[in-house]
Amino acid sequence: MTNPNKLSSSFRDPSGFMFRRDGRLYRQVNVHYQAEYDRLVQSGLLEKLVQAGLLVFAPVVEVKPADASTAYKVLQPEELPLISYPYEWSFTQYKDAALATLQIQKRAYEAGFALKDASTYNMQFHHDRPVFIDTLSFETYREGEPWVAYRQFCQHFLAPLALMSLVDIRLSQLMRVYIDGIPLDLAAKLLPGSSKMNLGLAAHIHAHAAAQVRYADDPVAKKDIRGKMGRNAFLGLLDSLESTVRGLTLKTVKTEWAEYYNATNYTDTSLAEKGKLVESMLVRVKPASVWDLGANNAYFSRIAASRGIFTAAFDIDPLAVEAAYLQMKEKKEQNLLPLVLDLANPSPAIGWHHAERDSFLQRGPADCVMALALIHHLAISNNVPLGALASFFADAGKTLIIEFVPKGDSQVDRLLSTREDIFPDYNIQGFEQAFKEQFKILEAQPIAGTKRTLYLMERK
Amino acid sequence: MSGLFTQLLTGGFGARLVYLDPGSGSYLIQILIAALLGGAFAIKAFWKQISGFFASLFGKKKDDNLDDQPK
Repeated sequence: MTNPNKLSSSFRDPSGFMFRRDGRLYRQVNVHYQAEYDRLVQSGLLEKLVQAGLLVFAPVVEVKPADASTAYKVLQPEELPLISYPYEWSFTQYKDAALATLQIQKRAYEAGFALKDASTYNMQFHHDRPVFIDTLSFETYREGEPWVAYRQFCQHFLAPLALMSLVDIRLSQLMRVYIDGIPLDLAAKLLPGSSKMNLGLAAHIHAHAAAQVRYADDPVAKKDIRGKMGRNAFLGLLDSLESTVRGLTLKTVKTEWAEYYNATNYTDTSLAEKGKLVESMLVRVKPASVWDLGANNAYFSRIAASRGIFTAAFDIDPLAVEAAYLQMKEKKEQNLLPLVLDLANPSPAIGWHHAERDSFLQRGPADCVMALALIHHLAISNNVPLGALASFFADAGKTLIIEFVPKGDSQVDRLLSTREDIFPDYNIQGFEQAFKEQFKILEAQPIAGTKRTLYLMERK
Repeated sequence: MSGLFTQLLTGGFGARLVYLDPGSGSYLIQILIAALLGGAFAIKAFWKQISGFFASLFGKKKDDNLDDQPK
């Protein structure tokens, strides 16, 4: 029988599974994994990885298991404020997650273990760094065997990074379609011919894809590959993957939003004024988590993050998210997580039974949603009615800080300049009326020097 | 190994649209690539040891190959 508490993201692994009870997250270790788990603990590998900030801390706890018939132990992993997925990461986030995976594999190899999977979904961002979350992904390494997760590393990390770097940064979205990573034959077709001149990509993508096709109907017995990988060969492979990943860089392309703050109609004074209003509203509602939607380079998200509030800064522009991540990394900002998200088509629930990876809204609600300088893009550029916007925000957060940008504002006029104005209700009365259906308006503050108004609302 | 190498080079990897076996091709190419890279890695590791030795003679901090964080 299916255990109702068992989380569907971890059903494939017989070693154990995640479950939730009384709001707390646990990981059951099954008897199946008992010998491996004991060896792992004795080796000191888990402890060293946790100390290095590469693995999430997951101590053993005395808690009733979710399925006593298969249970060995129960762990309580440190819970992350938000789970994110590879199709929501910027280029450098993705690259850092890949390099951290290889670091973990290197350390595991030295301790006599190997990662049995190299899935992007085992990497998450916590504080200012990528962290591995699956304590049960290690297995004893048998001397001379190939790395069992090599294929998965290439499909989950190397192929998307190569495509983002050499073709188009937006190709990370292919990970939304291919839950087990981008098929290498597809990556090989999409990459430019010049990528064959890159030794790492020629080997790990092009030759790898060709070998997969060649041996698709020609299984190789395990005994035939045992003893073939010496120490130098194994470490050489990891070293090559690492240098190939490091060598991939982002071509700077100007996108719609990356220069946004240089092109708005805000003066420095109005921007500071808006910041103060946002801060006072945050002080009033004291949220534990903020989702800043349409955050651009996370300028206003940082007001929340700097107050110790976990803040996810979502934006449609991967370059704006990249800029936010690079700044976060440089300044070691602890409470910020910039992510790529198209609000007009937010991350869906994907995988088996639509339940392996949560949709954007399933990961909420946040205590507070911020929607600053956003509503006109959704209402006018995307034709989303004001009532539908109110419903969406009410699903996403318990409180809402939202900026209404009226007609007459240069940004709205710019959006209307190329199309017919079919939005007779797009005015402050229409806005308040639509949002009052879902929210109680707590504050409405005009932003000095602009025609805009900042609202603080609470979900009914 | 040389048989595998020849096969990979001459096997005529046409655009056959087949369901990709998760293991065999990946395993074989991995062994081949790793065998080619192993030698280079051994030289690199040896060179690091030599340069590390001289660096330590001159009081420089030893390079740690297992750095923890992505750069």
